[in-house]
Amino acid sequence: MTILEVIDLRARYAERGPEILKGISFQVEEDDFFAIIGPSGAGKSTLIRCINRLVEPESGRVILYGADVTTMSARELRRTRRHIGMIFQEFNLVDRMSVMDNVLSGRLGYIGNLRSLFRLFPRHDIARALELLNRVGLSDHVDKRADELSGGQRQRVGIARALMQDPQLLLLDEPTSSLDPKISREVMELIREIAKEFKVPVLCNIHNVQLAMEFCNRVLGLQSGIKMFDGPTDDIDRRKLDEIYAQEVL
Amino acid sequence: MTAAAMAARVDAVIAGRAKAKAVRYAGYVVLFLLVLWSIHATIIADTDWDRLGGIASVMRAVGRYASIDIGLIPHLWEPMVETFMMACLGTLLGCFISLPVAWFGALNVTPSKLVVYPVGRFLMTLSRSIHEIVWGLIFVSAVGLGALPGILALACRSVGFISKITAEAIENIDPKPVEAIRAVGGNDFQVMYYGIVPQIMPIVIGTIIFEWDINIRRSAIMGLVGAGGLGLTFHRQMVMFNYPGVTTVIFAILLLIMLGELISHRVRKAVI
Repeated sequence: MTILEVIDLRARYAERGPEILKGISFQVEEDDFFAIIGPSGAGKSTLIRCINRLVEPESGRVILYGADVTTMSARELRRTRRHIGMIFQEFNLVDRMSVMDNVLSGRLGYIGNLRSLFRLFPRHDIARALELLNRVGLSDHVDKRADELSGGQRQRVGIARALMQDPQLLLLDEPTSSLDPKISREVMELIREIAKEFKVPVLCNIHNVQLAMEFCNRVLGLQSGIKMFDGPTDDIDRRKLDEIYAQEVL
Repeated sequence: MTAAAMAARVDAVIAGRAKAKAVRYAGYVVLFLLVLWSIHATIIADTDWDRLGGIASVMRAVGRYASIDIGLIPHLWEPMVETFMMACLGTLLGCFISLPVAWFGALNVTPSKLVVYPVGRFLMTLSRSIHEIVWGLIFVSAVGLGALPGILALACRSVGFISKITAEAIENIDPKPVEAIRAVGGNDFQVMYYGIVPQIMPIVIGTIIFEWDINIRRSAIMGLVGAGGLGLTFHRQMVMFNYPGVTTVIFAILLLIMLGELISHRVRKAVI
Protein backbone atom coordinates (compact mmCIF):
# COMPACT_ATOMS: atom_id res chain seq x y z
CA MET A 1 0.00 0.00 0.00
CA THR A 2 1.24 3.46 -0.81
CA ILE A 3 1.53 5.56 2.36
CA LEU A 4 2.90 8.76 0.93
CA GLU A 5 2.73 10.11 -2.56
CA VAL A 6 4.55 13.27 -3.55
CA ILE A 7 3.59 14.76 -6.91
CA ASP A 8 5.55 17.44 -8.76
CA LEU A 9 6.66 19.23 -5.62
CA ARG A 10 8.23 22.65 -6.03
CA ALA A 11 9.59 24.91 -3.30
CA ARG A 12 11.52 28.13 -2.89
CA TYR A 13 12.24 30.23 0.20
CA ALA A 14 11.99 33.77 -1.12
CA GLU A 15 9.36 34.80 -3.62
CA ARG A 16 11.96 35.59 -6.28
CA GLY A 17 14.63 33.33 -4.77
CA PRO A 18 16.09 30.28 -6.47
CA GLU A 19 13.87 27.21 -6.82
CA ILE A 20 15.07 24.66 -4.27
CA LEU A 21 12.88 21.76 -5.42
CA LYS A 22 12.15 21.56 -9.13
CA GLY A 23 9.23 19.18 -9.48
CA ILE A 24 9.91 16.11 -7.34
CA SER A 25 7.64 13.04 -7.44
CA PHE A 26 7.98 9.76 -5.58
CA GLN A 27 6.04 7.23 -3.52
CA VAL A 28 6.70 5.62 -0.16
CA GLU A 29 5.24 2.16 0.46
CA GLU A 30 4.10 0.82 3.81
CA ASP A 31 7.23 -1.16 4.67
CA ASP A 32 9.75 1.20 3.09
CA PHE A 33 12.88 2.51 4.72
CA PHE A 34 13.23 5.22 2.12
CA ALA A 35 16.46 7.20 1.75
CA ILE A 36 16.91 10.61 0.17
CA ILE A 37 20.55 11.10 -0.74
CA GLY A 38 22.42 13.86 -2.50
CA PRO A 39 25.11 16.48 -2.05
CA SER A 40 24.80 19.37 0.41
CA GLY A 41 22.36 21.98 -0.83
CA ALA A 42 20.50 19.52 -3.06
CA GLY A 43 17.24 20.24 -1.22
CA LYS A 44 17.01 17.13 0.98
CA SER A 45 16.03 18.97 4.15
CA THR A 46 13.60 21.18 2.27
CA LEU A 47 11.97 18.13 0.70
CA ILE A 48 11.49 16.38 4.02
CA ARG A 49 10.12 19.56 5.63
CA CYS A 50 7.59 19.96 2.83
CA ILE A 51 6.01 16.65 3.86
CA ASN A 52 4.78 18.05 7.20
CA ARG A 53 4.79 21.62 5.91
CA LEU A 54 7.44 22.98 8.22
CA VAL A 55 8.37 24.48 4.85
CA GLU A 56 5.43 25.54 2.68
CA PRO A 57 5.78 24.07 -0.81
CA GLU A 58 5.14 26.43 -3.70
CA SER A 59 3.14 23.89 -5.71
CA GLY A 60 2.63 20.17 -6.04
CA ARG A 61 0.82 17.69 -3.87
CA VAL A 62 1.76 15.67 -0.81
CA ILE A 63 -0.72 12.86 -0.29
CA LEU A 64 -0.45 11.08 3.03
CA TYR A 65 -2.83 8.19 3.70
CA GLY A 66 -5.09 9.53 0.96
CA ALA A 67 -5.32 13.10 2.29
CA ASP A 68 -3.62 16.04 0.60
CA VAL A 69 -1.41 17.73 3.18
CA THR A 70 -0.80 20.82 1.04
CA THR A 71 -4.44 21.97 1.11
CA MET A 72 -5.12 21.32 4.80
CA SER A 73 -6.25 24.07 7.18
CA ALA A 74 -4.00 24.91 10.14
CA ARG A 75 -6.14 22.72 12.39
CA GLU A 76 -6.19 19.73 10.05
CA LEU A 77 -2.45 20.13 9.57
CA ARG A 78 -1.83 19.95 13.32
CA ARG A 79 -3.98 16.82 13.52
CA THR A 80 -1.93 15.28 10.74
CA ARG A 81 1.40 16.36 12.20
CA ARG A 82 0.77 14.55 15.44
CA HIS A 83 0.89 11.30 13.48
CA ILE A 84 4.17 12.18 11.75
CA GLY A 85 7.19 11.57 13.95
CA MET A 86 10.25 13.64 13.15
CA ILE A 87 13.83 13.02 14.17
CA PHE A 88 16.34 15.81 13.67
CA GLN A 89 20.01 16.20 12.91
CA GLU A 90 20.70 18.25 16.04
CA PHE A 91 18.10 16.26 18.04
CA ASN A 92 16.06 19.42 18.78
CA LEU A 93 15.45 18.49 22.40
CA VAL A 94 14.42 21.12 24.93
CA ASP A 95 17.68 21.15 26.87
CA ARG A 96 16.30 22.64 30.05
CA MET A 97 13.58 20.01 30.42
CA SER A 98 13.98 16.50 31.80
CA VAL A 99 14.27 13.49 29.54
CA MET A 100 10.80 12.44 30.70
CA ASP A 101 9.23 15.79 29.80
CA ASN A 102 10.97 15.77 26.43
CA VAL A 103 9.51 12.36 25.62
CA LEU A 104 6.09 13.34 26.95
CA SER A 105 6.13 16.41 24.70
CA GLY A 106 5.51 13.93 21.88
CA ARG A 107 1.92 13.76 23.20
CA LEU A 108 1.31 17.50 23.07
CA GLY A 109 -0.79 17.11 19.94
CA TYR A 110 -3.23 15.05 21.99
CA ILE A 111 -3.63 17.13 25.16
CA GLY A 112 -5.11 20.57 25.76
CA ASN A 113 -3.45 23.80 26.84
CA LEU A 114 -4.51 23.49 30.47
CA ARG A 115 -3.00 20.05 30.87
CA SER A 116 0.17 21.22 29.07
CA LEU A 117 0.42 24.23 31.39
CA PHE A 118 0.49 22.05 34.48
CA ARG A 119 2.37 19.22 32.71
CA LEU A 120 -0.47 16.88 33.67
CA PHE A 121 0.05 13.99 31.30
CA PRO A 122 -2.33 11.05 31.70
CA ARG A 123 -1.01 7.98 33.47
CA HIS A 124 -1.00 5.86 30.32
CA ASP A 125 1.19 8.44 28.60
CA ILE A 126 3.71 8.31 31.41
CA ALA A 127 3.65 4.52 31.36
CA ARG A 128 4.15 4.58 27.61
CA ALA A 129 7.03 7.06 27.90
CA LEU A 130 8.77 4.81 30.42
CA GLU A 131 8.25 1.82 28.19
CA LEU A 132 9.76 3.65 25.22
CA LEU A 133 12.69 4.95 27.25
CA ASN A 134 13.29 1.35 28.27
CA ARG A 135 13.09 0.30 24.66
CA VAL A 136 15.73 2.81 23.53
CA GLY A 137 17.94 1.93 26.49
CA LEU A 138 17.58 5.06 28.59
CA SER A 139 15.67 3.75 31.60
CA ASP A 140 18.40 5.03 33.96
CA HIS A 141 18.20 8.59 32.64
CA VAL A 142 14.50 9.36 33.04
CA ASP A 143 14.87 12.27 35.49
CA LYS A 144 18.02 13.80 34.05
CA ARG A 145 17.98 17.05 32.19
CA ALA A 146 18.28 16.56 28.44
CA ASP A 147 21.56 18.47 28.23
CA GLU A 148 23.26 16.06 30.63
CA LEU A 149 23.19 13.29 28.02
CA SER A 150 25.69 12.40 25.30
CA GLY A 151 24.90 12.84 21.61
CA GLY A 152 23.84 9.25 21.02
CA GLN A 153 21.66 9.27 24.13
CA ARG A 154 20.09 12.56 23.08
CA GLN A 155 19.15 11.12 19.71
CA ARG A 156 17.56 8.18 21.53
CA VAL A 157 15.42 10.66 23.45
CA GLY A 158 14.48 12.17 20.07
CA ILE A 159 13.48 8.73 18.84
CA ALA A 160 11.39 8.05 21.94
CA ARG A 161 9.66 11.42 21.52
CA ALA A 162 8.79 10.59 17.92
CA LEU A 163 7.46 7.15 18.91
CA MET A 164 5.37 8.73 21.65
CA GLN A 165 3.27 10.23 18.84
CA ASP A 166 2.14 6.78 17.63
CA PRO A 167 3.51 7.84 14.27
CA GLN A 168 2.17 6.57 10.97
CA LEU A 169 5.26 7.92 9.24
CA LEU A 170 8.72 8.74 10.52
CA LEU A 171 10.64 11.63 8.97
CA LEU A 172 14.37 11.53 9.64
CA ASP A 173 16.40 14.61 8.83
CA GLU A 174 20.07 13.58 8.83
CA PRO A 175 19.63 11.60 12.06
CA THR A 176 23.29 10.59 12.27
CA SER A 177 25.21 13.63 11.02
CA SER A 178 25.98 14.86 14.54
CA LEU A 179 27.12 11.42 15.74
CA ASP A 180 30.31 9.41 15.40
CA PRO A 181 30.36 6.42 12.98
CA LYS A 182 29.85 3.75 15.63
CA ILE A 183 26.96 5.55 17.33
CA SER A 184 25.51 6.43 13.90
CA ARG A 185 25.30 2.75 13.07
CA GLU A 186 23.71 1.94 16.44
CA VAL A 187 21.12 4.67 16.01
CA MET A 188 20.28 3.54 12.48
CA GLU A 189 19.95 -0.06 13.69
CA LEU A 190 17.65 1.04 16.48
CA ILE A 191 15.49 2.98 14.04
CA ARG A 192 15.34 0.02 11.67
CA GLU A 193 14.29 -2.36 14.46
CA ILE A 194 11.72 0.10 15.71
CA ALA A 195 10.30 0.71 12.24
CA LYS A 196 9.73 -3.03 11.91
CA GLU A 197 8.38 -3.42 15.43
CA PHE A 198 5.91 -0.55 15.14
CA LYS A 199 5.24 -1.15 11.43
CA VAL A 200 5.92 2.44 10.51
CA PRO A 201 7.41 3.53 7.18
CA VAL A 202 10.51 5.73 7.31
CA LEU A 203 11.55 8.59 5.04
CA CYS A 204 15.12 9.49 5.74
CA ASN A 205 17.50 12.20 4.59
CA ILE A 206 20.95 10.85 4.79
CA HIS A 207 24.33 12.21 3.87
CA ASN A 208 26.23 9.01 4.40
CA VAL A 209 25.79 6.87 1.27
CA GLN A 210 27.21 3.79 2.94
CA LEU A 211 24.59 3.92 5.69
CA ALA A 212 21.86 4.56 3.11
CA MET A 213 22.92 1.49 1.08
CA GLU A 214 23.04 -0.65 4.18
CA PHE A 215 19.81 0.32 5.89
CA CYS A 216 17.43 1.52 3.20
CA ASN A 217 15.51 -0.50 0.65
CA ARG A 218 14.78 2.39 -1.67
CA VAL A 219 16.75 5.46 -2.65
CA LEU A 220 15.91 8.82 -4.14
CA GLY A 221 18.91 10.69 -5.49
CA LEU A 222 18.62 14.47 -5.46
CA GLN A 223 20.87 17.02 -7.12
CA SER A 224 20.15 20.77 -7.15
CA GLY A 225 16.45 20.09 -6.60
CA ILE A 226 16.14 17.60 -9.46
CA LYS A 227 15.45 13.90 -9.07
CA MET A 228 18.46 12.00 -10.48
CA PHE A 229 17.56 8.50 -9.33
CA ASP A 230 14.58 6.71 -7.84
CA GLY A 231 14.65 2.97 -7.31
CA PRO A 232 15.57 0.03 -5.12
CA THR A 233 18.91 0.28 -3.33
CA ASP A 234 20.14 -2.80 -5.24
CA ASP A 235 19.88 -0.93 -8.54
CA ILE A 236 22.29 1.75 -7.51
CA ASP A 237 25.89 1.48 -8.65
CA ARG A 238 29.09 3.51 -8.73
CA ARG A 239 28.15 5.25 -11.99
CA LYS A 240 24.76 6.38 -10.69
CA LEU A 241 26.25 7.62 -7.45
CA ASP A 242 28.79 9.65 -9.42
CA GLU A 243 25.91 11.14 -11.36
CA ILE A 244 24.03 12.15 -8.19
CA TYR A 245 27.14 13.55 -6.57
CA ALA A 246 28.47 14.98 -9.86
CA GLN A 247 29.33 18.36 -8.38
CA GLU A 248 31.32 16.88 -5.54
CA VAL A 249 33.24 14.49 -7.77
CA LEU A 250 34.26 17.36 -10.04
CA MET B 1 10.61 -6.03 33.39
CA THR B 2 7.46 -7.60 34.77
CA ALA B 3 4.10 -5.89 34.55
CA ALA B 4 4.02 -5.31 38.34
CA ALA B 5 7.51 -3.82 38.37
CA MET B 6 6.57 -1.60 35.48
CA ALA B 7 3.44 -0.38 37.27
CA ALA B 8 5.52 0.37 40.37
CA ARG B 9 7.96 2.29 38.21
CA VAL B 10 5.14 4.32 36.65
CA ASP B 11 3.79 5.09 40.13
CA ALA B 12 7.25 6.19 41.26
CA VAL B 13 7.63 8.53 38.29
CA ILE B 14 4.15 9.99 38.78
CA ALA B 15 4.85 10.49 42.50
CA GLY B 16 8.16 12.16 41.68
CA ARG B 17 6.48 14.54 39.25
CA ALA B 18 3.74 15.32 41.77
CA LYS B 19 6.33 16.07 44.45
CA ALA B 20 8.32 18.37 42.18
CA LYS B 21 5.12 20.21 41.33
CA ALA B 22 4.06 20.45 44.99
CA VAL B 23 7.39 22.09 45.83
CA ARG B 24 7.00 24.57 42.97
CA TYR B 25 3.41 25.47 43.87
CA ALA B 26 4.34 25.83 47.55
CA GLY B 27 6.92 28.35 46.36
CA TYR B 28 4.20 30.25 44.49
CA VAL B 29 1.99 30.32 47.59
CA VAL B 30 4.85 31.70 49.72
CA LEU B 31 5.50 34.33 47.05
CA PHE B 32 1.83 35.30 47.00
CA LEU B 33 1.71 35.63 50.80
CA LEU B 34 4.83 37.80 50.71
CA VAL B 35 3.16 40.12 48.23
CA LEU B 36 0.04 40.33 50.43
CA TRP B 37 2.17 41.05 53.49
CA SER B 38 4.10 43.83 51.76
CA ILE B 39 0.85 45.39 50.50
CA HIS B 40 -0.39 45.40 54.07
CA ALA B 41 2.83 46.74 55.58
CA THR B 42 3.53 49.48 53.03
CA ILE B 43 0.11 50.61 51.87
CA ILE B 44 -2.63 49.67 54.30
CA ALA B 45 -0.71 50.23 57.56
CA ASP B 46 1.54 53.05 56.42
CA THR B 47 -0.82 55.46 54.64
CA ASP B 48 -2.28 58.39 56.55
CA TRP B 49 -5.88 57.62 55.56
CA ASP B 50 -7.37 60.54 57.52
CA ARG B 51 -5.37 63.14 55.64
CA LEU B 52 -6.04 61.60 52.23
CA GLY B 53 -9.35 63.47 51.98
CA GLY B 54 -12.19 62.64 49.66
CA ILE B 55 -12.06 61.62 46.04
CA ALA B 56 -12.98 65.21 45.14
CA SER B 57 -9.86 66.73 46.70
CA VAL B 58 -7.62 64.10 45.09
CA MET B 59 -9.23 64.87 41.72
CA ARG B 60 -8.84 68.61 42.31
CA ALA B 61 -5.11 68.24 43.03
CA VAL B 62 -4.60 66.14 39.91
CA GLY B 63 -6.84 68.45 37.86
CA ARG B 64 -4.49 71.41 38.33
CA TYR B 65 -2.10 69.72 35.91
CA ALA B 66 -4.69 69.35 33.16
CA SER B 67 -3.60 72.20 30.91
CA ILE B 68 -0.59 73.43 28.98
CA ASP B 69 1.56 76.57 29.29
CA ILE B 70 2.03 77.58 25.65
CA GLY B 71 4.34 80.46 26.54
CA LEU B 72 6.88 77.99 27.87
CA ILE B 73 7.23 76.04 24.63
CA PRO B 74 9.84 78.26 22.90
CA HIS B 75 12.08 77.97 25.96
CA LEU B 76 12.02 74.17 25.88
CA TRP B 77 14.10 73.63 22.75
CA GLU B 78 17.46 74.32 24.36
CA PRO B 79 17.04 72.10 27.45
CA MET B 80 15.66 69.34 25.21
CA VAL B 81 18.81 69.37 23.09
CA GLU B 82 20.90 69.52 26.24
CA THR B 83 19.08 66.54 27.72
CA PHE B 84 19.60 64.54 24.54
CA MET B 85 23.30 65.42 24.38
CA MET B 86 23.80 64.53 28.04
CA ALA B 87 22.33 61.10 27.39
CA CYS B 88 24.57 60.54 24.35
CA LEU B 89 27.80 61.72 25.96
CA GLY B 90 27.03 60.00 29.26
CA THR B 91 26.45 56.70 27.49
CA LEU B 92 29.59 57.08 25.38
CA LEU B 93 31.75 57.86 28.42
CA GLY B 94 30.10 54.97 30.27
CA CYS B 95 31.08 52.60 27.44
CA PHE B 96 34.72 53.59 27.70
CA ILE B 97 34.76 53.09 31.46
CA SER B 98 32.91 49.76 31.03
CA LEU B 99 35.64 48.36 28.79
CA PRO B 100 38.24 47.74 31.52
CA VAL B 101 35.57 46.96 34.12
CA ALA B 102 34.12 44.18 31.94
CA TRP B 103 37.59 42.88 31.20
CA PHE B 104 38.45 42.80 34.93
CA GLY B 105 35.14 41.28 35.92
CA ALA B 106 34.89 38.41 33.42
CA LEU B 107 36.20 35.27 35.07
CA ASN B 108 37.69 33.73 31.94
CA VAL B 109 39.73 36.73 30.76
CA THR B 110 40.45 38.70 33.94
CA PRO B 111 44.15 39.50 34.44
CA SER B 112 44.00 38.29 38.03
CA LYS B 113 41.23 36.33 39.69
CA LEU B 114 42.42 37.27 43.17
CA VAL B 115 42.93 41.02 42.92
CA VAL B 116 41.46 42.54 39.76
CA TYR B 117 38.35 40.37 39.41
CA PRO B 118 36.81 41.43 42.75
CA VAL B 119 37.62 45.06 41.92
CA GLY B 120 35.75 44.73 38.60
CA ARG B 121 32.78 43.08 40.28
CA PHE B 122 32.74 45.70 43.03
CA LEU B 123 32.72 48.56 40.51
CA MET B 124 29.78 46.95 38.69
CA THR B 125 27.77 46.72 41.89
CA LEU B 126 28.79 50.19 43.10
CA SER B 127 27.67 51.78 39.85
CA ARG B 128 24.26 50.19 40.04
CA SER B 129 23.61 50.49 43.75
CA ILE B 130 23.92 54.29 43.72
CA HIS B 131 20.92 55.97 42.15
CA GLU B 132 21.49 58.34 39.24
CA ILE B 133 20.16 61.25 41.33
CA VAL B 134 22.70 60.48 44.03
CA TRP B 135 25.46 60.26 41.42
CA GLY B 136 24.18 63.63 40.18
CA LEU B 137 24.36 65.16 43.67
CA ILE B 138 27.90 63.87 44.11
CA PHE B 139 29.09 65.38 40.82
CA VAL B 140 27.20 68.66 41.24
CA SER B 141 29.05 69.18 44.50
CA ALA B 142 32.29 68.11 42.83
CA VAL B 143 32.25 70.08 39.55
CA GLY B 144 29.40 72.56 40.00
CA LEU B 145 26.08 73.09 38.21
CA GLY B 146 25.40 72.45 34.51
CA ALA B 147 25.44 69.57 32.05
CA LEU B 148 28.90 68.26 32.95
CA PRO B 149 27.92 66.71 36.32
CA GLY B 150 24.90 65.17 34.58
CA ILE B 151 27.10 63.54 31.95
CA LEU B 152 29.47 62.19 34.60
CA ALA B 153 26.56 60.89 36.68
CA LEU B 154 24.99 59.09 33.69
CA ALA B 155 28.37 57.62 32.75
CA CYS B 156 28.92 56.25 36.24
CA ARG B 157 25.41 54.88 36.42
CA SER B 158 25.72 53.22 32.97
CA VAL B 159 28.93 51.35 33.75
CA GLY B 160 27.27 48.81 36.01
CA PHE B 161 24.78 47.43 33.51
CA ILE B 162 26.94 47.63 30.38
CA SER B 163 29.99 46.05 32.00
CA LYS B 164 28.00 43.37 33.79
CA ILE B 165 26.21 42.22 30.63
CA THR B 166 29.46 42.43 28.65
CA ALA B 167 31.35 40.41 31.28
CA GLU B 168 28.61 37.80 31.28
CA ALA B 169 28.69 37.66 27.48
CA ILE B 170 32.45 37.11 27.63
CA GLU B 171 31.98 34.31 30.15
CA ASN B 172 29.35 32.64 27.96
CA ILE B 173 31.22 32.68 24.66
CA ASP B 174 31.67 29.57 22.61
CA PRO B 175 35.25 28.43 23.43
CA LYS B 176 35.76 26.76 20.06
CA PRO B 177 36.77 29.86 18.02
CA VAL B 178 39.09 30.88 20.86
CA GLU B 179 40.74 27.49 20.69
CA ALA B 180 41.23 27.93 16.95
CA ILE B 181 42.84 31.39 17.33
CA ARG B 182 45.12 30.01 20.01
CA ALA B 183 45.99 27.06 17.77
CA VAL B 184 47.18 29.33 14.94
CA GLY B 185 49.59 31.00 17.39
CA GLY B 186 47.58 34.08 18.36
CA ASN B 187 48.65 36.11 21.41
CA ASP B 188 46.27 37.21 24.18
CA PHE B 189 45.26 40.39 22.40
CA GLN B 190 44.61 38.54 19.14
CA VAL B 191 42.60 35.89 20.96
CA MET B 192 40.47 38.62 22.45
CA TYR B 193 40.09 40.61 19.24
CA TYR B 194 39.49 37.71 16.86
CA GLY B 195 38.03 35.05 19.15
CA ILE B 196 35.95 36.94 21.70
CA VAL B 197 34.97 40.41 20.45
CA PRO B 198 33.08 39.26 17.31
CA GLN B 199 31.06 36.84 19.43
CA ILE B 200 29.96 39.35 22.07
CA MET B 201 29.40 42.27 19.68
CA PRO B 202 25.64 41.76 19.11
CA ILE B 203 24.94 41.54 22.85
CA VAL B 204 27.17 44.51 23.69
CA ILE B 205 25.71 46.75 21.00
CA GLY B 206 22.17 45.80 22.00
CA THR B 207 22.97 46.60 25.63
CA ILE B 208 24.54 49.96 24.78
CA ILE B 209 21.52 51.00 22.73
CA PHE B 210 19.24 49.90 25.56
CA GLU B 211 21.30 51.83 28.11
CA TRP B 212 21.27 54.94 25.90
CA ASP B 213 17.51 54.65 25.66
CA ILE B 214 17.27 54.54 29.47
CA ASN B 215 19.81 57.37 29.81
CA ILE B 216 17.48 59.72 27.93
CA ARG B 217 14.93 59.16 30.71
CA ARG B 218 17.57 59.57 33.39
CA SER B 219 19.00 62.74 31.88
CA ALA B 220 15.49 64.24 31.77
CA ILE B 221 15.43 64.29 35.59
CA MET B 222 19.08 65.18 36.19
CA GLY B 223 18.11 68.85 36.44
CA LEU B 224 16.24 68.18 39.69
CA VAL B 225 19.61 68.23 41.43
CA GLY B 226 21.04 71.03 39.30
CA ALA B 227 22.68 68.93 36.61
CA GLY B 228 21.11 70.62 33.56
CA GLY B 229 18.59 69.62 30.92
CA LEU B 230 14.81 69.45 31.00
CA GLY B 231 14.82 68.46 34.67
CA LEU B 232 15.96 71.93 35.60
CA THR B 233 13.04 73.50 33.72
CA PHE B 234 10.73 70.99 35.35
CA HIS B 235 12.05 71.83 38.78
CA ARG B 236 11.59 75.59 38.18
CA GLN B 237 7.96 75.14 37.09
CA MET B 238 7.34 72.98 40.16
CA VAL B 239 8.75 75.50 42.66
CA MET B 240 6.81 78.33 40.94
CA PHE B 241 3.60 76.26 41.36
CA ASN B 242 3.09 76.64 37.59
CA TYR B 243 1.19 73.36 37.13
CA PRO B 244 0.40 73.79 33.41
CA GLY B 245 4.12 74.47 32.91
CA VAL B 246 4.93 71.16 34.64
CA THR B 247 2.56 69.38 32.25
CA THR B 248 4.24 71.08 29.28
CA VAL B 249 7.67 69.90 30.39
CA ILE B 250 6.33 66.40 30.91
CA PHE B 251 5.08 66.42 27.31
CA ALA B 252 8.51 67.58 26.14
CA ILE B 253 10.12 64.69 28.04
CA LEU B 254 7.58 62.31 26.51
CA LEU B 255 8.42 63.61 23.04
CA LEU B 256 12.13 63.18 23.64
CA ILE B 257 11.71 59.66 24.94
CA MET B 258 9.56 58.72 21.95
CA LEU B 259 12.29 60.07 19.70
CA GLY B 260 14.86 58.00 21.57
CA GLU B 261 12.63 54.94 21.27
CA LEU B 262 12.34 55.49 17.52
CA ILE B 263 16.07 55.95 17.02
CA SER B 264 17.07 52.98 19.16
CA HIS B 265 14.58 50.78 17.33
CA ARG B 266 16.04 51.81 13.97
CA VAL B 267 19.66 51.55 15.07
CA ARG B 268 19.12 48.16 16.67
CA LYS B 269 17.63 46.83 13.45
CA ALA B 270 20.43 48.30 11.34
CA VAL B 271 23.33 47.15 13.52
CA ILE B 272 22.34 43.71 14.79
